[in-house]
Amino acid sequence: MGEIIIGIISGIISGTGMGGGTILIFLLTFVFQIEQHVAQATNLIFFIPTSLIAIIVNIKNKNVDLKLGTLISIYGILGAIVGANISINTQVENLRKYFGIFLIIISIHEIYSIIKQYKKEKIDKNKSKI
Amino acid sequence: MKKQIKTIIIGFLAGFVSGFFSTGGGLILVPAFMYLLDKESKTARGTAIFCILPMVITSSFFYYKGNYIDWKIAILCAIGGTIGGYIGAKLLKKLSEKTLKIAFTIFILYVAFNMIFK
Repeated sequence: MGEIIIGIISGIISGTGMGGGTILIFLLTFVFQIEQHVAQATNLIFFIPTSLIAIIVNIKNKNVDLKLGTLISIYGILGAIVGANISINTQVENLRKYFGIFLIIISIHEIYSIIKQYKKEKIDKNKSKI
Repeated sequence: MKKQIKTIIIGFLAGFVSGFFSTGGGLILVPAFMYLLDKESKTARGTAIFCILPMVITSSFFYYKGNYIDWKIAILCAIGGTIGGYIGAKLLKKLSEKTLKIAFTIFILYVAFNMIFK
């Protein structure tokens, strides 16, 4: 039952486009003490059905650049083979540390985008005053 | 830089992160599509999720071989995720995106420090 609730929380966050997978992995490891690799694997399985629906909707709405998408996918598959193989051979303590560093990079990116949005709103407000 | 080289680097890097952490491919692809390849935000998001699926399927194969998939947890989470995704899409219209972003960032920072220093 707890797993379903964690899934719901992550799904809500995915719907807002802010890394539902990251939250899922964190909740599984932090709340349920599930091993980092298992949590990451859960996220992979979690992604397949949830993304399929989004992909179909996006293709229908013509939001997918199919030519670019296919090329990126090919190189991406090569990258994934390398990344996944290194990951499964990485000690769990180290993997958690790398994941932490990765989260800090995400936060910096988010802070940057919040500031950018704030500045844009300020400019828009000033424009409407004029 | 030539467009072709850019495509190779972006694709490979996104795949690598996606395989290593099983998440975060979109974090690389969306801004890369927008700022390096001049795609619109909507197309960037749509194309990113389209590209991540094959990477995820590839990674799943190796995690499966490494015996890291717990099917019970995965299926329960996926059920929750489908419900949550639907709620999220509706909720987004009501909640301010900025508030969500700030809450998310604070939360992520807290988690990051816990993971690195504990």
